[in-house]
Amino acid sequence: MRNRWGAYLLGALLLVGTNLCGLAIPWLLKLAIESLQSPAKAGYTPAQYGGLIAAAAVAQGIIRVFSRTTLLNAGRRIEYELREDLYAKLLTLDRTYFSNWRTGDILSRLANDLTNVRMLLGFGVLSLLNTVVIYTASLILLTRISPFLTICAVLPFPVMILIVKQMSASMFRVSKRTQEALARLTTRVEENVSAAAVVRAYCREEGEIESFGAVCDSYSDASMAMAKIRGMMLPVMAATGAIGTLVILFVGGNQVIRGELTLGGFVAFNGYLAMLVWPTIMFGWILNLVQRGAASMTRLGEILNAYPEVVEPEQPVDPGEIEGEIEYRSLSFSYGSAEMLRGIDLKIARGSRIGIVGVVGSGKSTLVRMIPRLFPVADGTLLIDGIDLNRLPLQRIRAAVGFVPQETFLFSRTIAENIAYGKPGATREEIERAAKIAGLSGDLTRFPQGLDTLVGERGVTLSGGQKQRVSIARALIKEPSILILDDPLSAVDADTEEEILSALSGYYGKRTVLIVSHRLSPLRNCDRIIVLEQGSIVEEGSHAELLELGGRYAAIHREEQLKAEIERL
Amino acid sequence: MHFGGIYEDETVGKVYDRRLMGRFIAYVLPYRRMLTTALLLLPLIAASKLAQPWIIKVAIDEHIVKGRMEGLPALAAAFLAIIFAESILMFAQVYLLQWVGQRVMYDIRVQLFSHIQRLSTRFFDQTPVGSLVSRLTSDIEVLGEMFAAGIVTVVGDILVLAGIVGIMLWMNVRLSLVTFSVLPVLIWVAFAFRKWMRLAFRQVRARQANLSAFLAESIGGMAVVQLFNRERDEAKEFRRLNASYVEANLPVITWDAALYAVVESLSSVAVALIIWYGGGEIVKGTLSFGSLVAFIQYIEKFFSPIRDLSAKYSIMQGAMASLERIFALLDNDDREPAVLPASEAAKGTPQACQASPAQALQSICFNDIWFAYKDRDYVLKGFSLQMKRGEKVALVGETGGGKTTVTRLLSRLYDVERGSITIDGTDIRELPLPVLRRRIGVVLQDPYLFSGTIAYNISLGDPEALKRVEQAAAVVGADRFIRELKNGYDEEVRERGVNFSAGERQLISFARAVAFNPEILVLDEATASVDTASERLIQQGLEGLMQGRTTLVVAHRLSTIRDADRIVVIHHGEKAEEGTHAELMAAQGLYYRLYQLQFKD
Ligand SMILES: Nc1ncnc2c1ncn2[C@@H]1O[C@H](COP(=O)(O)OP(=O)(O)O)[C@@H](O)[C@H]1O
Ligand SMILES: Nc1ncnc2c1ncn2[C@@H]1O[C@H](COP(=O)(O)OP(=O)(O)O)[C@@H](O)[C@H]1O
Ligand SMILES: [Mg+2]
Ligand SMILES: [Mg+2]
Repeated sequence: MRNRWGAYLLGALLLVGTNLCGLAIPWLLKLAIESLQSPAKAGYTPAQYGGLIAAAAVAQGIIRVFSRTTLLNAGRRIEYELREDLYAKLLTLDRTYFSNWRTGDILSRLANDLTNVRMLLGFGVLSLLNTVVIYTASLILLTRISPFLTICAVLPFPVMILIVKQMSASMFRVSKRTQEALARLTTRVEENVSAAAVVRAYCREEGEIESFGAVCDSYSDASMAMAKIRGMMLPVMAATGAIGTLVILFVGGNQVIRGELTLGGFVAFNGYLAMLVWPTIMFGWILNLVQRGAASMTRLGEILNAYPEVVEPEQPVDPGEIEGEIEYRSLSFSYGSAEMLRGIDLKIARGSRIGIVGVVGSGKSTLVRMIPRLFPVADGTLLIDGIDLNRLPLQRIRAAVGFVPQETFLFSRTIAENIAYGKPGATREEIERAAKIAGLSGDLTRFPQGLDTLVGERGVTLSGGQKQRVSIARALIKEPSILILDDPLSAVDADTEEEILSALSGYYGKRTVLIVSHRLSPLRNCDRIIVLEQGSIVEEGSHAELLELGGRYAAIHREEQLKAEIERL
Repeated sequence: MHFGGIYEDETVGKVYDRRLMGRFIAYVLPYRRMLTTALLLLPLIAASKLAQPWIIKVAIDEHIVKGRMEGLPALAAAFLAIIFAESILMFAQVYLLQWVGQRVMYDIRVQLFSHIQRLSTRFFDQTPVGSLVSRLTSDIEVLGEMFAAGIVTVVGDILVLAGIVGIMLWMNVRLSLVTFSVLPVLIWVAFAFRKWMRLAFRQVRARQANLSAFLAESIGGMAVVQLFNRERDEAKEFRRLNASYVEANLPVITWDAALYAVVESLSSVAVALIIWYGGGEIVKGTLSFGSLVAFIQYIEKFFSPIRDLSAKYSIMQGAMASLERIFALLDNDDREPAVLPASEAAKGTPQACQASPAQALQSICFNDIWFAYKDRDYVLKGFSLQMKRGEKVALVGETGGGKTTVTRLLSRLYDVERGSITIDGTDIRELPLPVLRRRIGVVLQDPYLFSGTIAYNISLGDPEALKRVEQAAAVVGADRFIRELKNGYDEEVRERGVNFSAGERQLISFARAVAFNPEILVLDEATASVDTASERLIQQGLEGLMQGRTTLVVAHRLSTIRDADRIVVIHHGEKAEEGTHAELMAAQGLYYRLYQLQFKD
């Protein structure tokens, strides 16, 4: 709640104000009626009393507007800040975290759970304050009539609190279950919509509807369990008030009979007791809000308290200008249980070009992902310009690396904006130059809006090769000292590939370049090629050396050539 | 920075009218029995509430005043019994209303979801995932709030109100009219506020959708954001959307508070009017004092249901804004292409997904097809292609040339604009979609894996395909890495398959196509992320399987397609060359050039 205490205090004061105006009205009414009964003693005429009542009503209304907006806006502001915090947190979390979470789940927490928390902080606080005000007022009035009876009247309350406490605990649990079910539902929708093409191509519509129905069912069930508890809460609250009345009936009745209490006092007492019933029921409702809010808050806490494995170094070392020398020293890495990289030792001089090949799943992508610290380096060391990667400021190393991921991700913005993503504030010329090196110029001239063509979510309105090349351009415009291309031309035809490769060789310059590829053609200009197998480097050397070695690389080469030869015959 | 992205779903253009409520009621009608039961409980609850003070009154008048304690325990027992009854009734009512609410939400949700399953691929090209998510979740949750707030008891409130108005008129027409003089103000306020509130709520719902669309995209691209050090800019954009969402909510709060305050104040103003007017009457002697007091008490009772109504009023306006969005999506006609009436007796029955075509496939023809994703921006211009049973035809050409588009048209993910695609002479537009799509197994260029297990991802829950999971995985050589996993085919796949390498994902999605045992296999760069050795394994595996199947292959690695029966080169949406490998090499055209480039050393 941080700095919102002021708003809550102001809201509370305004609430007292509006309630005071509210209380003034019956009092004025009493005076007015008395003046009508005996006009002689009256201070004002009935019309004047009418005016006073109207004035009090208007004042009450105006203060009411302010009290409600102050409190509810405070709830909204906190919601806003909480959402900011949540998103800020998400921005710091790493791949390990996101691969364990579903997008739909996070979406649901930031929408539905946040709503519950806001309801608690807005309406919940408002109603709580209101209830407290009314409770206090009524209790003061009751005590003035008979302190003893007041104690009797509140006698059932401890029992109620016990029952309610019991119920709150299960309310918390059920509420959490409901929110989890809602998150699952959100996840189903998110996946289904993202996979629209697959669902259609494989006629899975009916199956999807069926499984969605099942998820909705479990959400309904959880909601009904919640409704059941809520339904039980109401009568418990109502009964507490009523039992209080019953106690009064006996005790108070006896007092009247014994002449310890006047009949008028007894009747008045009963009247005020009725005033307590409504806030008591209200209290049940607030409790419901509190438990739901609390359950949701713990779910938000799971995000807020998450910590990334990739963190800023405690004692960062200023690397100066990163030049791009990379050294893996007996680096091992595992995503979970199985080791994915095993004791990698590799030294890459600045300005050299390294090709990486290997079968599917041999750890090529994993190897290059370590450099921009997408995953933590824990076992072994990775040195950049001779400095331990873990001691470089995250921003610095990422600024120095141009990364083209194997899986292209584009934002639903224009092509120009997507390319300029690599360099905020890039000029049009820079964007065009990057697009040209990435071999996009031809396509751009064919798009009516050229660079300003809007691409769909994840770039769906582009062809596979176009997406890949936008992603390359985005990395190039950054002018990085280390360029990492993870299978960058897999969706590109030989012609375009040739065009890009020759443009790239002019671009490389002093940069250190790592290229992962399944085809050997993009590795043509590499100084050194390494072959990965099950997370270890099994061959290493120049193209000629590896051919001479006659190992795996030579086999891949032979295979490609063989096919060509067969055709030539 | 303000990105010109597509998550700028401002308020829905079309303003729905009063029929909105009527349409909504249609969803409630199936549960009218439950609803009437809940409504019938209302008078019972009211009666038990009224009985309590009455018992107290009896206790006081008959026992306490008279000093007789005997008989009091019986009354107390009755009192407790009534409380007990009231509790049960209240519980039943809350439960019934919630039950109906949940059923209605369920129905709307499933209907909306089913509707989305029928929408065209084009629709998804243009609609952010997050905004659809928000319609299916938060927009429908708002409807739930309406039930939780007991909107149905509005009927009860209105009945009570009518009763009180009647009694007041019966007691004193003139005083009643004085009281009711505040009503025009109230009605005006209600109508005026309705417009503003609805506008504000519409804004709220639209901005919530924007927020969720941005968030969904941002979570998907988090690695890119971080790789490019763009956290701060994304945070800024998020702050903008977040602020605009919260700002949209502020007017709602103000209108709601104002409505509450107006109703509250007007009730006191009515009392003031009575004092002013009735006071004069009393002085003139035309009104009895008792009547005045009674009247003031009735005003209290008169305004209490109005207060209840006004509280529900703004919740209802919010629900209306959500309903608008829900119905707008339900009314979206951007459906999947319709099945044309058959020119000759079309085979298979509609809806029968498993319906296997009577005859084995003989030929597929693309006849001079033209297609554009947008307006006149033709991606395919007069493309023709004939394929016969058992043939393997390869599509090659520059990226962006339209290869993927051809495969999409065959599955009718989009419909051709001019020309036609026929299977065995029947226009595919005359075949029911499931019948058509069941015959085709596509490996999409971008493999998509669901969260679940590997087995689920290969079979997609189809019982027939489930039987062939392991066989299919073996065919494409995916079994090698699957066997090494701790849980084998039951290994968990995380969202979008993030815990697998890109090549592994591609193999799994390839296995999926094989497991569905289609007559036509469409491979859209299906081995682009796979190494040469694995690719050879796939080719060997497929060889036996491909007997009698027709295959359409898109590939850039020309070695993969050398054994194709025919190779078609697409250039800028037109067929540039067609022939066997040898023929095309001899022609020394585009294909020859591509081939030379790829194997130049
Ligand atoms: N985020 C992840 N979580 C768990 N396992 C992963 C993850 N990413 C990749 N793997 C596993 O690590 C292995 C190597 O993956 P990768 O480096 O992507 O291979 P490739 O050489 O094909 O690029 C694969 O077997 C894959 O299943
Ligand atoms: N969903 C879409 N909406 C709009 N344009 C698209 C869409 N998909 C592809 N395109 C455009 O159509 C052209 C052909 O794309 P595609 O068929 O994917 O090419 P490819 O031959 O590389 O498979 C490209 O210029 C691409 O930008
Ligand atoms: Mg990889
Ligand atoms: Mg393509």
